[in-house]
Amino acid sequence: MTLTLSRPRRMTVPRRSFVTKRNIPYLLVLPALLGFLVFKAYPILAAMYISLTTGAGGARSFVGLDNYVRLVNDPLFWTSLWNTGLILVVQVPIMLLFALLLALGLNSPLVRLRGLWRLGVFMPSLTGLVAYGVMFSVILRKDAGLLNWLLSLFGVDPIDWLGSPFWARIAIVIALTWHYTGYNAVIYLAGLQSIPKDLYEAAMVDGAGSVRRFWSITVPQLRPILLLTVVLSTIGTLQLFDEPFVLTGGGPDNSTLTISLYLYQNGFRYFDFGYAAAIAYALTLIVAGFGIAQMRMQKR
Amino acid sequence: MINRRGALALALTATLALAACGGEAPEKGGGPVKITVWSWKPASDGLAAVAKDFERTHPGIKVDVQAVGNPAIWDKITIAMAAGGKGLADVLHIGVDYLPGYMDKFPGGLADLRKLGGDTYKDAFAKGLWPTVTGKDGGVYAMPWEVNPVGFFYRADLFEKAGIDPEKIRTWDDAIEAGKTLKEKTGAFLIGLNKPAAGGADMDFFQSLLQQQGAFYFNQQGEVTLSSPPAVQAMTLVKKMNDAGIVADTSGENTTKQLISGGKLAVLPWAAWAVSYIPEMRPEQKGLWRVMQPPATTAGGKRTAIVNSTHLSISGTSPHQSEAFKFVEYALTKPEVVTKAFKEGGVFPALTAAHSDPAFAAPQPYFGDQPALKTFVDALAEGADATYYSGDYARALKIASDAQTKVLLKGADPAAALTEAATLLSQQTNRRLAG
Repeated sequence: MTLTLSRPRRMTVPRRSFVTKRNIPYLLVLPALLGFLVFKAYPILAAMYISLTTGAGGARSFVGLDNYVRLVNDPLFWTSLWNTGLILVVQVPIMLLFALLLALGLNSPLVRLRGLWRLGVFMPSLTGLVAYGVMFSVILRKDAGLLNWLLSLFGVDPIDWLGSPFWARIAIVIALTWHYTGYNAVIYLAGLQSIPKDLYEAAMVDGAGSVRRFWSITVPQLRPILLLTVVLSTIGTLQLFDEPFVLTGGGPDNSTLTISLYLYQNGFRYFDFGYAAAIAYALTLIVAGFGIAQMRMQKR
Repeated sequence: MINRRGALALALTATLALAACGGEAPEKGGGPVKITVWSWKPASDGLAAVAKDFERTHPGIKVDVQAVGNPAIWDKITIAMAAGGKGLADVLHIGVDYLPGYMDKFPGGLADLRKLGGDTYKDAFAKGLWPTVTGKDGGVYAMPWEVNPVGFFYRADLFEKAGIDPEKIRTWDDAIEAGKTLKEKTGAFLIGLNKPAAGGADMDFFQSLLQQQGAFYFNQQGEVTLSSPPAVQAMTLVKKMNDAGIVADTSGENTTKQLISGGKLAVLPWAAWAVSYIPEMRPEQKGLWRVMQPPATTAGGKRTAIVNSTHLSISGTSPHQSEAFKFVEYALTKPEVVTKAFKEGGVFPALTAAHSDPAFAAPQPYFGDQPALKTFVDALAEGADATYYSGDYARALKIASDAQTKVLLKGADPAAALTEAATLLSQQTNRRLAG
């Protein structure tokens, strides 16, 4: 068999075999491809069509770009965009900084019971939506909440975390940071461990202090990983849904309404699937725009 | 990250993906016909109890009552209807707030009960309900089951301590004055509202003030009436109460329950369901509560309002519609059956004939031997106005709730906040602003 096949000119395959050397890679990726086509490509294309229609169930009618025109004129969409942008600009840098510090700590040879610490740091990423929501609503309660109790020890008056438009945004930032810092810390930790030790040793021989070693070795070596986490966190935050959904429902007075939450409300609360699909495509464009911009910045 | 992306992917694709994989093949051949009912607890307990009796008298039909849960049931119905009825139960328990949405957005999703004989029961139910189950095409898409007239549950001991005679409270302005005295003498708030609408809108009170005036977010023609004079009047009352410092903020898990157990809420402007709910929640406050009709929004105005109602509908794609209707007819139109469901599931019946059952006139020890249910029966006999929820109620509720939050938290002017809200609602729903 092998001998015959290795001479293409004389390829007289005796029986028609279904599996050939040529098609085997395609056959191997076929199950994944089929899954992608059915569960991803079809819904994505169908959503594109739905975004150009209005109505529901069997009564869809084609309206062209009406939904997109409506989107541009919708004050709530702009509110959701503004809220999402605000959370993005505030939360992502804070979280990534924390994550980097945590990773540095976890990577230190001085730390004992390292496995336990790492598990602890990663644990929040594994917490389910419901448990997470209940826990934070207890922590953030106005009276008898854990956070307000802690603050009261420092003489701070109780804060209405979920009831005030300003503090609700801060509450979302806190919850988000709690949820995803560990996830990023673990990525950084892997990055830190892949930096060759000899770089540090050489620097120490040259007399570089720990701060100098951090800025001149750790940060440049981590650059691709830093970029990865920035891109992932940006995409994640643009699609922010869980936290406002379980904690504030987008309130008070839409101060924590995010794009995904608005999308969900339109689709599943108001049955306005055409409009929801248009929001989804707008979000996709924004995410793609950010992703491309960040990748370009890396290349420079 | 996976969670967030997963959620988006769900939002993007659920309708389509689930359309492809949901659904069961309809059973064929002999044997008893099985009909499935979707409802939620505790109402489903009442329905399950009468389903057993029904199976005994109708040997060819098996009834499976499933407690899907509220609000899970709404997503489940939406998805099944978007999938063309695949996987949908035969009988659906639907609230009046969701019914018009399904009628408008999923034509054919619910069966027109006229062809099954549903319209013969037009006058059997409490006034104000039939228009809400009737579609724009005149079709009948549900049968009323539960009705919740609004009440005014008050702590008789606190009122006495403050020296207030509840009988003298005729208008909400009277109630506000009483509330100030109550706050001063007993420290209790008049009512509680979830001011930031954390965890969901808290608009039942505002809506009941509208409904007392025969108004709502929409009129019968489906035009937006959110900034109409009755709406401004209702929101102004809410603001007056809030400014007087007699509205407690009930946002947060269990806050209402804690306020009630601490004697910090003098009035619960709740509907008929609370007659069984309050004793369950606070058995130790036995004898302290009484109930009367709520005061009117203006002197001499109507005091009755139906805050909500729930109905049984039949799936438009069910292969067993006539069997399903037999069950719905049995469960909802026979006084003794309806009363049994009420006793088991606490669902205040919409069927007028059921109200003459002695259970509705019986003195209740928890309410100081007051016949508490009679207040509501009397209110229904007086007749409430129909409420037009329209297919865009969910959107209207959200927008009205945002307006209330602006008034309560930011001190916004009621008329201005409602005008802004009505404009937004009309823009988002493509509906005309009335008047």
